[in-house]
Amino acid sequence: MTGLVVCRLAAVAVAAVLALAPLAQVHGPLRSALAYLAAAGLLLAAGAVWRLASLLGPALLVLLAGQLVAPLVRGGRVDAATPLAGAGLLLYAELASWAQERRPAVRDEPPVTRARLAVLAASVVGALALGAAVLLAAGLPGGGGLTRLAVGVVAATLTLALVAAVARRTATRPS
Amino acid sequence: MTRRPARKIAAYAGVAAVALLAGLALGRPEPVAAAAPLAVLVVAGLAAARDPQVEVDATVDRDRAIVGDQVTVQVRLRAHTAVDRLELLLAVPPGMEGPAGPARPWAVALRLRAGEERTLPVTLTCRRWGAYLLGGLQLRAHDRLRLLTWEQPLDRRAPLKVFPEPQALRSLVRPFETQAATGSQVSRHRGEGIEFADVRPFLPGDRPRSINWRATARRGVPWVNERHPERTTDVVLFVDSFVDVRGERASTLDLAVGAAASLAGAYLRQRDRVGLVGFGGFVQWLRPGSGQAALYRLLDTLMETQVFATVAWKGIRHLPPRTLPPKALIVALTPLLDERAVAALFDLLARGYDLAIVEVSPMAGAQAAAGGWEPLARRLWALERETLRHRYQRLGAAVVEWTQGVHLQQVLLEVEASRRHARLAPVGGAAR
Repeated sequence: MTGLVVCRLAAVAVAAVLALAPLAQVHGPLRSALAYLAAAGLLLAAGAVWRLASLLGPALLVLLAGQLVAPLVRGGRVDAATPLAGAGLLLYAELASWAQERRPAVRDEPPVTRARLAVLAASVVGALALGAAVLLAAGLPGGGGLTRLAVGVVAATLTLALVAAVARRTATRPS
Repeated sequence: MTRRPARKIAAYAGVAAVALLAGLALGRPEPVAAAAPLAVLVVAGLAAARDPQVEVDATVDRDRAIVGDQVTVQVRLRAHTAVDRLELLLAVPPGMEGPAGPARPWAVALRLRAGEERTLPVTLTCRRWGAYLLGGLQLRAHDRLRLLTWEQPLDRRAPLKVFPEPQALRSLVRPFETQAATGSQVSRHRGEGIEFADVRPFLPGDRPRSINWRATARRGVPWVNERHPERTTDVVLFVDSFVDVRGERASTLDLAVGAAASLAGAYLRQRDRVGLVGFGGFVQWLRPGSGQAALYRLLDTLMETQVFATVAWKGIRHLPPRTLPPKALIVALTPLLDERAVAALFDLLARGYDLAIVEVSPMAGAQAAAGGWEPLARRLWALERETLRHRYQRLGAAVVEWTQGVHLQQVLLEVEASRRHARLAPVGGAAR
């Protein structure tokens, strides 16, 4: 029971950091708009952690949108803090999922919890590395806008195909 | 095993797709960099996931126990593939108490390496008599990134019969009539035995050892002792399971079954023959038998007693004649609530059976009704029950009310005391 509460609180804390951090980077009327967005994101994130697992997707989208407002408004240089935001999003999502899958009646043996924490830490580190790699790749010379557009279209298409494939492959079935 | 995807797969893939499209539309890498880990985690997790293969077996350390005993269910696991998280849930039926509490399932999550074997002992405490099936399991396995869940219910159930704790009984209800075989009950007839009955003049054929020398010396002619022979008796326990009134501590059926088990053990120890009639939703009976085998047979049947709603026997008012041997003592354990049981007992009296009724009182267990009429209704109900008891007593049956908290021995003594003043009803007499 204590573990479940800790897990929920940690997820909400990470979501709060993700929601509130962009507020420091903007000023003026945009700040108040971003504050509303942060509040909505936080509410959705808390709801996803506590009761409604279906809110996880909307919560991630709103938190992600909050992260992107400042770089888009600022324009110009690539925001070097984006990998941190990506790792934070993944950390929140994993903690929220962990809180959802935990049942108070089920007692986790210590090796299970240790392994889960290790996987979580590795995922966050991997997310940081991956985010940095994406930003570095975006900064590489070579190829004009058309090439990048083509790569982006292919990547988006592959991702959508992945969504469809995953939806079909992971449907409930006896194995 | 049934495989089920986690909800987060759709959320991760959806967010990643939207972010990629946003990055494409805005011409900036930030959305892609932020959401790429979600997509990669889904792809990597699904690519690495393998169906788990786990063998599970469950055994119970015994098949018979007494209320209050602890039984151990051994759950053995053998993993052919590594399982990152395996939830194991053992169902605990009502009447049993597991480590998590009464009737709450026991569950644990563990991690198994490929080829690893584990044995998990789960101790359950028997809280109520009855026939149980232990070992209903539910398995739930997760992959490392918790993207897929495999579930499988397993039926590894083994039977367990929990008997009520026997109550120490020093004296039992004595029958009016005994059987021909030698036993422990002092017969009312006279013959060869131990218990002194009377003296009478010597007759040819009497054994010299039975001469009462003191009476002979006083009267000048030989007189002999007469004795009561020790005989067996047939006892039939009549358990009324039409209605069960549950109180805070116990129910009427719990008390009746516990008393029946104690009486059966006590009579069988006296070498009497004991039979059983379960009179309820369905009628079941055991012909009287003696010895340990009869005790186990009887207890096994008793443990399956339950309130069973059916229309098959809804019109039953009489017990089939062959279920009851002649000259049998019938000890009825009943709350006297269902009219079929009430009528059947009247019928037994009319058929001339030696009947003792232990009325397991439902008064304490009945819930109080709302409103100011409750005390009056309760008094009227008590009067009705008193009238019913009186009708039985007029026909020669001993009826004693058994309230919760009173020892069965005290009730039996009251039954025995009231039987001293009771007479058997004439065969074919008016029953109601």
